[in-house]
Amino acid sequence: MRRLFAVDEAAARLGLFVGQKATDAAALVPGLAVADADPAADGAALTALCDWCARFSPAVASDPPDGLFLDITGVAHLWGGEAAMTGDLVARLTANGIPVRAAVAGTAGAAWALARFGEGETLIPPGSERRALARLPVHALRLAPPIAAQIARLGLATIGRLADLPREQLTRRFGPEVVLRLDQALGGASEALAFRRPPTPWLSRLAFAEPISMPADLGRVALDIAIVLCARLEEAGQGARRFELGFHRLDGKIQRLAIGLALPGRDARRVARLFIPLLESVDPGFGIEVVTLAAEGVERLSQGQQCLDETGEIAPEEGVAPLIDRLANRLGQALVWRAEPYPSHAPERAVARRPPMSPPGDDGWDPERPRPLRLFRRPEPIEVMAPVPDDPPIFFRWRGRPHRVRRAEGPERLAPEWWRRPFEDADPAKARDYYRVEDETGMRFWLFRSGLYGAETPTRWWLHGLFG
Amino acid sequence: MSREARFLAARRKVAAIEAGGAPAHGALPFGDPRVDLHLPGGGLPLGRWHEAVGEGLEIETAAVAGAFVAALAAPLARRGAVVWVMRRDDLYAPGLFGLGFPAQRLIQVLARSEVEVLTALEDALGTAGVAAAIGEAEAVDLTQGRRLQLACERHGATGFVIRRRPFGGGSGREAAGSAAATRWKVASAPSQPGPGEPGLGPPRWNIALERCRGGRPGAWIVEKSDGAYPLRVVEGLGDRQLETPKSLRLAG
Repeated sequence: MRRLFAVDEAAARLGLFVGQKATDAAALVPGLAVADADPAADGAALTALCDWCARFSPAVASDPPDGLFLDITGVAHLWGGEAAMTGDLVARLTANGIPVRAAVAGTAGAAWALARFGEGETLIPPGSERRALARLPVHALRLAPPIAAQIARLGLATIGRLADLPREQLTRRFGPEVVLRLDQALGGASEALAFRRPPTPWLSRLAFAEPISMPADLGRVALDIAIVLCARLEEAGQGARRFELGFHRLDGKIQRLAIGLALPGRDARRVARLFIPLLESVDPGFGIEVVTLAAEGVERLSQGQQCLDETGEIAPEEGVAPLIDRLANRLGQALVWRAEPYPSHAPERAVARRPPMSPPGDDGWDPERPRPLRLFRRPEPIEVMAPVPDDPPIFFRWRGRPHRVRRAEGPERLAPEWWRRPFEDADPAKARDYYRVEDETGMRFWLFRSGLYGAETPTRWWLHGLFG
Repeated sequence: MSREARFLAARRKVAAIEAGGAPAHGALPFGDPRVDLHLPGGGLPLGRWHEAVGEGLEIETAAVAGAFVAALAAPLARRGAVVWVMRRDDLYAPGLFGLGFPAQRLIQVLARSEVEVLTALEDALGTAGVAAAIGEAEAVDLTQGRRLQLACERHGATGFVIRRRPFGGGSGREAAGSAAATRWKVASAPSQPGPGEPGLGPPRWNIALERCRGGRPGAWIVEKSDGAYPLRVVEGLGDRQLETPKSLRLAG
C-alpha cells in the first residue's frame, strides 16, 4: 500500500495530506504528479544545503528531515542586522526553487517552533521567547507524538498554558522530556547541536558581484579578508592561533584551507602569506562568489612594540615563530618539533616531541649514560662472538661486514618497565644488556643482547645505534 | 664628495681587499693554531655555510659527520636558535646532549624530499634569530649553494650541510663545484681512554679540510674535549694528555 510521503502547497490546498493512500489521492486529483520518495537522497540534499549555508555562518547543524539550525551569534552585523541576513537567506533559497520558512530567536527550540508553527513575527528579540511562544500549539515543542497527544487530550493546547503549570507536576505526569524541551525553548537549558564547524564570532566575509577564479585574484582576496578580520582582532586586543579560509563556489561546494600559528597572532600579511602556498589546491569550479575567514583559538594578545632600530634584540615573535609557522604549515604540524626528556628507561621512549615554541625545561638527559647520536627505529640483527656470560662481544658481523672489537664498555642493563604491563607479563628474560663497542677503524656502535644465557629462549644480538 | 671623504672611501676599499676574504661575521676558532692558521680569520668562518661528508657506510648513516657538526655548532647554540633539517628522523637527542649540544633547544624538522630540505634550510638561514641551521642533503649544486650563501648573509647565520643519502641507493649526481666556504671530510678514528680508565675514550675523528675559501687544506686527528673549545687536536698514535707528575710517597 503506497502512502503519500510529502505534499507541496498546491496539493495541500486541494486537500491532500501526508499519510493519505496514494490511490485516494490519485482519485481526488486527476493528473497528480507522483514521484517515489527517496529519503537517502533527501538526506544528502539536506547535507549539501547545510554546507551551502556555511557562507552565512560556519555553525550550521542539520535537523532532519527538512530543517537547519544556524548559529548567527555575532555574525549578523556583516549583513547589517538579523532581519537583513534572514531576508538574504530566504531570497537566495527561494530563487533556487527551495520553499523556506525562517525564524530567528535566542534559543534553538524557540526558533524551531516559530519557523514551523509561528505566524506573523519570525524574528524575536532575545529574552522574549516566552511571550512569542505562548500561543503556539504544544506540538511546536518537539515532543514525542504520544506525549504531545496526551497533553493535548488533557486540554493544554498551547505552550503558554503548559509553561504555567508547576514543573514537578509536569515531570511526574509526562516525564522529564517535557520540562527539558520547555527549558530549551524558553532559555532555561542549553542545547548541544552538532554543528559542522564551531560557532565563532570572529568571522569575516567578502561577497563578489562577479565570481572569481584566477589564482592571482584568490591571493588578493585572501589578503583583503585577512586585513578585515585582523583589524577586528586588533581592536579587541586578541590574537588567534588558527585561521580557516573558505571559498564558496557557485555550485554550492566549499573549499577550505586551514593554517595554524605557533604563537597567537593577528598580522594580516603573515596570515595571507601562509595561505598563498595552499591556494594551488583550490579548485574554483565555475567561480567563487563568497569568501569567509574564521579565526579559532582566539586569546588575549598584548600589544607588541615594534623594534625601532635594526640592531635591537630580535624577539622570538619576530623571527623564529614565523619560521616555524611557515615550516609547519608547509610540511605538516607533526614534522616540526623540539625534543624533551621523557622519563623512561627504554631508549625508544626517552624522547618526547613538543611544539618548538614551548619553553624548554632546564634538565636534560642523564650525562652518566652515554647514548648514540643515531638510533635505528628497528634494531638490526647481528651475529656476534662473545664470551659468556656477560663479557662484551669480541667480534660481530653487521650487514655482511665483519667488525673486530677493540674496546668495549658495558653491560648496561635496561629492563622492560614492569609497571606498564600486567604483572604476569613481566619477564626478566626480556631485559636488554647494552654494550658500547669500538672497532678497529674507530666506528662506535651501541649493541644489545636480548635474553639471558641459560634461559629457554636463545639470546639474540642487535645493533641499535651508532655513536659519532 | 670632498677630498677627505674620497680618501676615506678609498682607504676602506683597500682595507677590504687586504683583509682577503676574511669573514664579515667573525670566526669560530678551534683553539689550536695547527687548525686555525689554515682557516681565514683564524677560525671557522661564520655567516657562511660549510659542508661535511663521510665515506663508505657514513654516506648512509652520517653518524660521524653529524657528531662533528654538532660539536662545531654547539657554541652557536648559545647565541640563538638552531634548526636541524633531516630526511630521516634517526637523530637521537640524548646522543646530541652527550656531545655537549643543548638538544632540548634544537628545532628539528623532518622534510620529505631533497628539495624540501634545501628550501627549509634556506628559509631557516634567512630568518632573524637563527644562529645556525644544519641540513642533511645528498648534494648541493652551485645554484642552490649560492642561494644558501645569500640566505646566510642576510642575518649572519651559519649553515652546515651534511652530505647524506639516508635511504641508500646508487650514487646520484656528484656536484661539479661547491659554493661552500669550507668542505670537511670526516671519518672515525680509534679513541684512547684516559690512563687507567677502562672502555672507550672520548670520540676521535680523522678530519680533513678539503677545500677552504681563503685558507689552506689540511688533515688532523681531533678529539671531543670538555674544555673551552669543543675539539682538541691530537697527534697520531699514543697521544695522551701528560699528567702532572705526582710527588713520590715514601713507603712505610
